[in-house]
Amino acid sequence: MSSNNNMSLKLKVWRQENENSKGQMVDYSLEDVSPDSSFLEMIDQLNEELVEKGDEPVAFDHDCREGICGMCSMMINGQAHGPESETTTCQLHMRKFKDGDTIAIEPWRAKAFPVHKDLMVDRSSFDAIIQAGGYVSVNTGNAQDANSILVPKTDADLAMDAAACIGCGACVASCKNASAMLFVSAKVSQLALLPQGKVEAEQRVLNMVDKMDELGFGNCTNEAECEASCPKAISISNIARLNREFLSAAVKSRH
Amino acid sequence: MSTSLVARFGTSVVKKVAMGVTGLLLCGFLVSHLLGNFLIFVGADAFNLYAYTLTSNPLIYLAEAVLLSIFLVHLFMATRLVIENKKARPVPYYTKQPTGRGATVASSTMPYTGLVILIFLVLHLLHFKFGTYFETTVDGVTMRDLYKTVIEYFKTPLNVAWYVIAMGALSMHVSHGFWSAFQSVGFNHPKYTPCIETLSKVFAGLVFLGYSALPIFCFLQGGQS
Amino acid sequence: MSIKKLDGKVPAGPIKEKWDQYKFDMKLVNPANKRKFNIIVLGTGLAGASASATLAELGYNVKAFCIQDSARRAHSIAAQGGVNAAKSYPNDGDSVWRLFYDTVKGGDYRAREANVYRLAQVSNNIIDQCAAQGVPFAREYGGTLSNRSFGGAQVSRTFYARGQTGQQLLLGAYSAMMKEEAKGKITTVTRSEMVELVLVNGKARGVITRDIITGKFEKHSADAVLLCTGGYGNVYFLSTNAMTSNSSAAWKCYKKGAYFANPCYTQIHPTCIPVHGEGQSKLTLMSESLRNDGRVWVPKKKGDERKPADIPEDERDYYLESKYPSFGNLVPRDVASRNAKLVVDEKRGVGATGVAVYLDFRDAIKRDGKDTIKAKYGNLFDMYNRITDADPYSEPMMIYPAVHYTMGGIWVDYNLQTSVPGLFALGEANFSDHGANRLGASALMQGLADGYFVVPYTLGNYLVTEKPEQEKVTVDNKEFDDALKTAEAHFDKLMAVGGKRSVDSFHKALGLLMWEYVGMGRNEAGLKKGIEEIKKLKAEFWKDVKVTGTKEGINVELEKANRVADFLELGELMARDALERVESCGGHFREESQTDENEAKRDDENFCHVAAWEYAGENSDPIRNIEELSFENVALTQRSYK
Repeated sequence: MSSNNNMSLKLKVWRQENENSKGQMVDYSLEDVSPDSSFLEMIDQLNEELVEKGDEPVAFDHDCREGICGMCSMMINGQAHGPESETTTCQLHMRKFKDGDTIAIEPWRAKAFPVHKDLMVDRSSFDAIIQAGGYVSVNTGNAQDANSILVPKTDADLAMDAAACIGCGACVASCKNASAMLFVSAKVSQLALLPQGKVEAEQRVLNMVDKMDELGFGNCTNEAECEASCPKAISISNIARLNREFLSAAVKSRH
Repeated sequence: MSTSLVARFGTSVVKKVAMGVTGLLLCGFLVSHLLGNFLIFVGADAFNLYAYTLTSNPLIYLAEAVLLSIFLVHLFMATRLVIENKKARPVPYYTKQPTGRGATVASSTMPYTGLVILIFLVLHLLHFKFGTYFETTVDGVTMRDLYKTVIEYFKTPLNVAWYVIAMGALSMHVSHGFWSAFQSVGFNHPKYTPCIETLSKVFAGLVFLGYSALPIFCFLQGGQS
Repeated sequence: MSIKKLDGKVPAGPIKEKWDQYKFDMKLVNPANKRKFNIIVLGTGLAGASASATLAELGYNVKAFCIQDSARRAHSIAAQGGVNAAKSYPNDGDSVWRLFYDTVKGGDYRAREANVYRLAQVSNNIIDQCAAQGVPFAREYGGTLSNRSFGGAQVSRTFYARGQTGQQLLLGAYSAMMKEEAKGKITTVTRSEMVELVLVNGKARGVITRDIITGKFEKHSADAVLLCTGGYGNVYFLSTNAMTSNSSAAWKCYKKGAYFANPCYTQIHPTCIPVHGEGQSKLTLMSESLRNDGRVWVPKKKGDERKPADIPEDERDYYLESKYPSFGNLVPRDVASRNAKLVVDEKRGVGATGVAVYLDFRDAIKRDGKDTIKAKYGNLFDMYNRITDADPYSEPMMIYPAVHYTMGGIWVDYNLQTSVPGLFALGEANFSDHGANRLGASALMQGLADGYFVVPYTLGNYLVTEKPEQEKVTVDNKEFDDALKTAEAHFDKLMAVGGKRSVDSFHKALGLLMWEYVGMGRNEAGLKKGIEEIKKLKAEFWKDVKVTGTKEGINVELEKANRVADFLELGELMARDALERVESCGGHFREESQTDENEAKRDDENFCHVAAWEYAGENSDPIRNIEELSFENVALTQRSYK
């Protein structure tokens, strides 16, 4: 809180005008950064200075700033959401850095996540994957009493672990193959674990994997960088579950 | 649509299953090959007799064909994965750091250790299977003296060193590949997965120790003669 | 223009039968005809997503707009604690009537009874619907759903999914939307902001939007428009709202004739992480569920600078427990917040700034063990630790109230229709169900009730009765071109100011004014001063704001400038409304109107009504219309949680 703890930083930030232009890393220096600031508040400070000078501020995605909406998406010193485990960029605080540090900031990079501008990327491919089957086909008004579907607590807890995914894309960003397996498997797992989702489980996993492949994500090579950089600690055991759901569906499905 | 079953062979999941299954089968080959080669420790005759018995069985061609296909599938899928995965990120990162909580040296170098193994394998076949042909007679049967080929080859320290290095690469490759295969076919369980992960490391260690022991032993043998 | 008495269009009959009877009385749209109607939904939070999905399932063509890059990111996602329903699964005496009663009382008798009863009625359907969608609610070992208790209630009626209930409910509604999108019944337009409402012959027939990526203005026509854009807490700059949460869509509707009801009703949530410094961009909420086990206290002594662990038991003031023995730490939010302010004003606040109180888990950890507490609140404790660098397992949390929710909003009748025909408002964007104070876990309930179970009926009735489709309206109508020109001119004007001060600096200045004069305690002199100051700031804004970049392409500064321009106007209206309402009720605390024990004192004689403000043009004062509230089923009493 006291200003004498404040830091000076050197920033290298990816600047790119639009999807079609070529981007580059641009150097900035920033003084008087409070260690109690969040990483995004540090970027706010940079932007305030840029605006002051009449320059264009750095475009970046952010919204809730409490680690749940999944908007924020920065590659910080080569790590998705920065160095802390189970932490989104907005929840990363500057006290994790040292005075004089150089920090490189880049957007998520993947063919399926084209850059809109600077640090903003287009993640609509995630929506397309959910559209391929990430739901239970139940219309409003068709539901039975909630307690008539009993779910073992362990299954409910595992489903919740998987459902905690915020769709930020850190798994894709950190994967050296830009694979979306963790994202897809989280949704497949959540619904495969619950009786409500079992009805459509076969079609769901087949269609979602097909869509994922079609969108140009890479293949999983079981390195677990996704799990390590996931702000919600989604486990790669979900990927194994997806694999087995897929195999059994591919064999059994009539489609 | 029944065509989709064929189409499914192209999906990312099946490609990985193919990698895993062929990888595990190749691990099986590693074990049997190693056990057979251990006969080198017993002596020239035992080793040569084993080699002779193996190669004189007509089924060996079938076995070799199967092994080759498994290997080719593994190689083909690996190449495809590498190419596709490169395409999935057309613009590279300015800097990329591992988290230290996920990827290991072994896991992140799979294509490279794989390449080392491929080169090794070609040379290995050239040096031994298609290498210098000596003859010997065991129990009155004339057969190839493969033992001598091996001993001659490992007289050169450089050959020993290359062999050990390649086995290091192999060991790293299987240390990730072994448990990874289980993950790819969908086997992940809180009780058993930790065992598989340990087994994976133990297996990799044994592969390295076992296979490295051979050239070193031969080098020492060769030095004496 | 004169003051109007508004009709809430509440159907006749006993309260328990109103909704059922009305559902029967309303006209239906033939299934084959539904596909002829186009509906625009603005916002994809719980209200917008549930309405979009349900209307599409019924057969309507839905176009949904959201400001984020995906419908899944709307700010409903940040709701932590839970969703209420009158299931009475724990067998602890709950009922639809009790939920209705608690909500009316919790809202300090400033909500429309019939709406609240309907809300309580459909609450159970919501839980069923969400469970069927695969929302992973917390479960008991027997596989049944688990409940916990929340502020303002003495029963456990809150369903939850860890500390991420809002996220799970929103993902449920979002997945239902995606299901319909795959069928082609919904088109979601992301990264898009509504900048103008289009009226044709007095009816809402479309919107003008601005594409955030290209900066292009677009015209969209429809047979009805649903406003589901959430609340306006970001007027205060620092709030628990998301950064892009804004009031602009609602404000454009207000300027096109939709009345703005009770803008002064804002909820200050008692358990937020205190402000740390100037660079702070937002405040983070710690779920109210923490008050189930955490004990709120401050030192008895003024200016006590000892560490909390060094303060002995008898020198601690557990002020909520001693003042409100029957509700204790679970008093409603407004009461908890006001009491925190009282002790801080007495210089008994804690922490480096002295503007905080303790929320202590020491006794709960002693009683239940660290593991139990960790299982219940682990993610919240981790979040607290990440933000403050302090460990709540070993020292008490420091909390302070922060702006969280706005009970006020666009005025709607029983059909959720605004004063503009064809324009409906759902969820936090409307004003209807929470009165002057919202109870915990009721926002999720209301958003989903409106979207899943109310508007699908009432919208159909509108379409059949008013027959908007009979007037051929397309984006080629002159009204669309005019609205587009107005919107574009507004953005040009913002770009043209060419001043020196950043948009954020104006927003922060407005926030400080609002917190100072229209915050937790309000009085006549302060409100009058506040109005003047806001007016000055607004004039200054239009003289000196600096918007960098160009109109084309992504320009975050321009987006923010548009929102802040509207916040400046809305802020003034909030102060005006607070000034006119010379009584205390719920979240609106007029210092002139309090009991001897500093509790909010209502004036039912003069203010048992909704104030619905009507826009009267740029240079005229807005008109304060009223809707009388009558309480036939719950007796008006002084609210007590003692």
